[in-house]
Amino acid sequence: MAKDRSQRDEYTTPLRRLLLGIVVLCLLGIFLVWRIDSPRVERFRAQVVDTVVPSMEWAMVPVTAAVNLMRDFQSYQRLSEQNRELRSELRLMRAWKEAALQLEQENARLLDLNNVRLDPRLTYVTGVVMADSGSPFRQSVLLNVGERDGIVDGWATMDGIGVVGRISGVGSDTARVILLTDASSAIPATIQPSGQTALIAGDNSSAPAVEFLENRELVRPGDRVVTSGDGGVFPGGLLIGQITVDPGGRLRVRLSADFERLEFLRVLRYQSAPPITESGDIVGPRQPEASLTPQEVNDG
Amino acid sequence: MDRSASQLWAKRGLYVALAMFVVFLHLLPLDTKPDRLPFPDILIALTYAWVLRRSEYVPILMIAVVMFMADLLLQRPPGLLAALVVLGAAYLHSAAAGMRDAGFIGEWTTVGAVITVVFVLNRLILAILSVQQATLGPVVVQVLLTIAIYPVMVLISQSALGVRRKSVADSGMPRVRS
Repeated sequence: MAKDRSQRDEYTTPLRRLLLGIVVLCLLGIFLVWRIDSPRVERFRAQVVDTVVPSMEWAMVPVTAAVNLMRDFQSYQRLSEQNRELRSELRLMRAWKEAALQLEQENARLLDLNNVRLDPRLTYVTGVVMADSGSPFRQSVLLNVGERDGIVDGWATMDGIGVVGRISGVGSDTARVILLTDASSAIPATIQPSGQTALIAGDNSSAPAVEFLENRELVRPGDRVVTSGDGGVFPGGLLIGQITVDPGGRLRVRLSADFERLEFLRVLRYQSAPPITESGDIVGPRQPEASLTPQEVNDG
Repeated sequence: MDRSASQLWAKRGLYVALAMFVVFLHLLPLDTKPDRLPFPDILIALTYAWVLRRSEYVPILMIAVVMFMADLLLQRPPGLLAALVVLGAAYLHSAAAGMRDAGFIGEWTTVGAVITVVFVLNRLILAILSVQQATLGPVVVQVLLTIAIYPVMVLISQSALGVRRKSVADSGMPRVRS
């Protein structure tokens, strides 16, 4: 018996080794290709996700709904407390509503006076969140709209109130949204009312950091942060959140969008800066028209 | 003989189904806030538990395909972690015979060491190729949780899924029995 096994091993072990070597080399090869030519492999990833995840949807939707229902039941236990909170909030909101109505009227009057036409290109497509990134180290969600609906990489995504993230990776039926909280997200923003520009960079925490701020003195906690539209990546003027200061004294943004439960997201159609098609020319003043002919230079 | 072959393929199918279920749980959009706790990598613990019990249920190629799909779906750098997990599984496969007598604590220690090495190498290679990485703290927590969940996976595999080590009687006379 023991002899039989050792004999079998003699044949299978080298084969096993060979198979192992090939498999590991293939995997490492794919990894290296990803490192060198990331967009191509990421497109492949988007296609795989596009075929796999929608086929899971029939199971995902009921499970997600059931868990959310259970959570709602838990919150019913604090019903009276919530009710009280809501009442006080409502009283505050009434005052704000009055103010908002007045401002809206004023705004309409002013727009009329100035003959302003709002950008008609800012329409949106609404998608439902199908899945999240599946990893605690990456912050992204998968929407059920994709190339079929005309989604293009780079478009901004909002929930009803604030910016959520940008599209990165489009399959035919799905699109991935990299959230503002992801470590690879950075968005140019303006801080109102001082008008300072900064970059809102995510770092896997719930409040992204404010970076490349020119003059910190002018920025106070509570200031509004909106997209600046710099670089043509995002349309300008979308609400991101409010400035807060973390215990370490660093400026951060408390996001306006409700990241706790992202369900329906709007993808803004936005034709950004024209795509660059030709290689760059030298920036700067044109060379003066040949003031000296080559002959003259030689003479000198 | 036929029955044992069909059982073999049933168990392999079960492994793939379990892997899909784990990925499915990861992908559920229940919590999109960033500061959630890192969860253990159940897939790796499950794979290693099965490799040490019945390596014929989880052939190398199958581990590679499953881990590569997990890499793609869970937004990890594709291929690297899969390759490392496959290498770890191959090492455990070769060490399984000696571990039979070492008892569970010995097995757990070895698996813990392998999991740690896999994650350390993963991080090291990513750092060498200057790929952007998560902060160290949650990753360490994830490794510890993965090692901690290993006995649970072993218990489930043995009692509920019927993946036990071959006993001497089984391995001695398989053909007489079936």
